[in-house]
Amino acid sequence: MFRHNALRYTVLVLLASGALFQAFTAEYFGLEILTEILILAILVLALDIVAGFGGMVSLCHGALMGVGAYAYALFSTKAGVAPPVAMGGAVAVTGAAAWVIGAIGSRSHGIYFIMATLAFGQMAYSYVFQSPVFGGDDGLGGISRLDLSLVGIDLTDSRSFALFCLAILGAVYGASVLILRSGLGRSLTGVMHNEQRMRALGLTVWRVKADVFGLSGMIAGLAGTLAAQHIMYISPGLLSWTVSGEALVVVILGGLGTLVGPLVGAVAFVVLKHEVSALTSYWHLVVGVILIGVVMSRANGIFGWVESHSGAWIERRLSDATRDPEPEEAVSDA
Amino acid sequence: MLETRNLDKSFGAVHVTRDVSLKLERGERRVILGPNGAGKTTLFNQLVGELTPDSGSVHLAGEDVTALPVANRARRGLSRSYQKNTLFDGLTVEENLGLAAAVHTDNATRLWHDSLTRPEVREIVDDVAEQVNLMPYLHATVSEVSYGVRRQLEVGVALATRPLVLLMDEPTSGVGPEMSKGFHELLNNLPRDLTMLIIEHDMDLAFDVADTITVLNYGEVVFDGLPEAARGSKLLKEIYLGSWEDA
Amino acid sequence: MAHDLGFWTLQALNALQLSMLLFLLSIGLTVIFGLMHFVNLAHGSLYALGAYFAASLAAIGGYWMGFFLAPVAVAGVGILLYSGLIKRMRKSGPMAQVLVTFGLIFALLDLTRIFWGDLALAIEVPALLDGRTAILGIEYPTYRIFIIALGLFIFGALAFVLGRTQIGAMIRAGVDNDAMAACLGINVERLFFIVFCVGCALAGLAGVVAAPLLSVTPDMGLQILIPTLIVIVIGGLGSLKGAVTGSLIYGFVQTFGAVLAPQLASVLIYALLAAVLVIKPVGLFPAKG
Repeated sequence: MFRHNALRYTVLVLLASGALFQAFTAEYFGLEILTEILILAILVLALDIVAGFGGMVSLCHGALMGVGAYAYALFSTKAGVAPPVAMGGAVAVTGAAAWVIGAIGSRSHGIYFIMATLAFGQMAYSYVFQSPVFGGDDGLGGISRLDLSLVGIDLTDSRSFALFCLAILGAVYGASVLILRSGLGRSLTGVMHNEQRMRALGLTVWRVKADVFGLSGMIAGLAGTLAAQHIMYISPGLLSWTVSGEALVVVILGGLGTLVGPLVGAVAFVVLKHEVSALTSYWHLVVGVILIGVVMSRANGIFGWVESHSGAWIERRLSDATRDPEPEEAVSDA
Repeated sequence: MLETRNLDKSFGAVHVTRDVSLKLERGERRVILGPNGAGKTTLFNQLVGELTPDSGSVHLAGEDVTALPVANRARRGLSRSYQKNTLFDGLTVEENLGLAAAVHTDNATRLWHDSLTRPEVREIVDDVAEQVNLMPYLHATVSEVSYGVRRQLEVGVALATRPLVLLMDEPTSGVGPEMSKGFHELLNNLPRDLTMLIIEHDMDLAFDVADTITVLNYGEVVFDGLPEAARGSKLLKEIYLGSWEDA
Repeated sequence: MAHDLGFWTLQALNALQLSMLLFLLSIGLTVIFGLMHFVNLAHGSLYALGAYFAASLAAIGGYWMGFFLAPVAVAGVGILLYSGLIKRMRKSGPMAQVLVTFGLIFALLDLTRIFWGDLALAIEVPALLDGRTAILGIEYPTYRIFIIALGLFIFGALAFVLGRTQIGAMIRAGVDNDAMAACLGINVERLFFIVFCVGCALAGLAGVVAAPLLSVTPDMGLQILIPTLIVIVIGGLGSLKGAVTGSLIYGFVQTFGAVLAPQLASVLIYALLAAVLVIKPVGLFPAKG
C-alpha cells in the first residue's frame, strides 16, 4: 500500500521546485519541454495506479490519453461545447471507456491482460485512423485552450499553460494518493497481492478492477485533454500502441508502484529524448538499450534503486551510530 | 447452519467426493479427519465455491448457495482459511486484517474514505488481533513475522470477515506440537455461536476442539458422530490410523 | 452483392495467404511462450530482419539464396538474443519480459536503420514464381499460391514433428509441465534453445516470403506484431492448433471484413478478440487450461 517517506517527500519537493523554477525562468523551448514532461507525468501516474498497485499492466493508456484528446477536440470544435465542459466530458468519456476495458479484462491475468489492453488500444487507434469524423490520418486542428481570462490568466501564453499543467499535475498526484489510500485502493492492492484470497473474503474483484481502471482512465483522459490543448492539433499517432509502451517504459524507468518514481521517469525520459535526438537520429536505440539495462538490473527503476540504496545507507548510518557490538554485522555491512 | 446434500465430484477417473452429506448446527464445531488424499480440501473448495460439484448441493443458513460464486458465499457468512498460507505478503498484519474487515463492513469499494481508519474496521481488526494473539505484530510486514504467526494470521484474516461459518484447512499444519496445543486453546476461546468446520491431521489434537467428528476416506464419509464414539471405533482405526501409519 | 463466385474465390485465397503468413510468425511465438513462458515482443523485429537479410542476399545471389540463408541468419541473431538476454529473463514476470523485448524492438529498429538506411527496399518475385496460375477457376498470382503452399507445408511438417516424433513428444511434455519434463530426464534447456532458434528461423522465413509482397521498411516488424499477437491470443498460447486457428480467423475476418463491411473492417478483429477474451480469457485452444 502506498506510503510516503522522507525520501519521497524530498524528491517531490525537489521536483516541484525544479518545475516552478523552470516555469518562471525558461524561454519558449524550455517551457514546451516542461509542459511535455508535465502531461506525460499525469499519464504515467494514471498508469502507475493500475500497474504498480493493481498488477494491471496496461498497454492501452496511450490510447486512453488519445481518446481524451479526441473527445476534447470533438466536443470543443465540432460540437461547440465550452472548453471546460468539453474537458469534463472528455474525462468522463475516457473514464467510461476505461471502465469497460477494465471490466472485460478483469478475468485476464499477466500476458493476457497486457494483450487484451493492447487490443482495445489498437481498436481505438484503427477506428480513429479510418474515421472521417476524426480527420483520419490528417488529424484534427484548431483546438482551443481553456479560457481562464475571468481569473486573469491567459492560457495561450506558454508560461501560464505550463503552470496550469503543473497545478493539474499536483491535483492529480494528490488524487492518486487519496485513491490508493481509499477502501477501493487498498482492496486493489489486496487483489494484486492475492486475488484468490480477496475473493474468498467476499470482494467482487472485477468491480474493484474496473472501478480503478476507470479512475485511471479518467486521469489519462485528463492528460489527453491537456495534450490536445498543448499542441492544439492531434493526430491518430497519439493513440498508437508505442505511446502506451513508452508510458510503461517511463513507469518502469522511474520505479513501478512508487508514484514518485514515474514522475522522475517522466523527467528523465523527456530530457533524454531531447538530448539524444539533438545528437543522433537513433534515439530509439539509446532508449532501448537503457530500458533493457534497467529491467535486467532488476532494480525497480531509478527511484526504486535510490530508495533501496538510501535505505541501506541510512541503516548503515544507524548501525554505525549505535556501534553494533557484534562483529558479524560489521562484516556483512562492508 | 451449513449443510451439504449428496455432494459428488470427479476429476476424470478419480472420484474425489462421493455422495457427501453433512449437516452442521449453529455453533457446532466439527473436525474432519482423514488420510492424505481423502478429499478433505476438495470438499472445502466445493463448500466455498472454488470448485463446482458435479452433483449435489450446498446450503448455508437454510439457503441453497450451490450456484453462487465464491465472493457471494463469503458475504453471506462463509469464510475459510487455507492449508498453505494465502496472505497478502507485502502488507502489514494490520493491513491484512483490515482488508478482510473492510469487505465485511462494506468499506472495501469506497473511494471517499480510507478503510483502515474507519472505526468499524478498527474495531474488528483489534478484536481479531486479540482473539488470535496478533497484537504484538500488528505493524510488522507478513514477510517479517515467523511461520507460526502467519498461521495465526491465516485464521485471523478469515475471522475478520465476522463469519457465521468458519472453515479451517489444517490450521496447525507445519507448526510444532507445543504451538498446535496453543492454537487449539485459541480456537476454543472463539465465540461459542461460531460454527466451525476444521480439517485436522492429528487425531489427538482434533479431540481438543471437536463437538463432532467426520471421517473421510477416498472422498466418502465413513464415520460421522461424537468424538467418544470415534475414539473407540474400530473401523476408524483401520482406515484412518492404518493409512496414517503407512504415510 | 453483385460479385460472382470468382470474386469470392479470390478473396478466400487472399485470406488464406494472409493467414499462412501470420501462421509462420505466430507458431514460433506461441510455442516459445508455451514452452518457456517467454513473451517475445521482438518476434516481429526478427521478421523484419528476415526481410532485410533476404533483400541483401537477393542482391548478391538472387531470391533463392535469400530464401534459404536469411532464416538461418535470423536464427543466428536468435542465438545471440537467447544467450545474451532471454536466458536470463526466463524466470522474470511477463512485464519484465514485455519491457526487455520492447526495448529490443527499439534497438533493432534503429539498428536496421543504421545498417540498411531509412529507404524502403524491394525484392523481385523470383522468375519461377512470377506470373499467374489458374486455380479454382480464377487466375491467381503464383507467388501467393507459393506462400499458401509453404504455410501448409510448414504446418504439416510441424504437426508431424510435434505429434509423431520423439522431440515433439518432449516439447509437448515441456509445454505441459517443464519441471516434470526435466524430472523425466529431458534436457529442457537444450529443448528451449532449439525451439527458440526454430521459432526465430520461421519468423525470418515469414519476413523473406513477405518481402516481395510488401516493401521492406524498418517498421515492418512493428506493423506485423499486433496481428501476430492477436492471432496467438485468440488461438490460445502454446498450441499449434491455436496458432493455425487464430491465423485463419484473423486472415478471413480481416479480408472479408474489408469487402463486406469496409467501415468496420479495422475494428472488427479487435472486437472479435475482445469477445474471445470475455468468453475464454485464455484463448480458444490454449496448450493448458
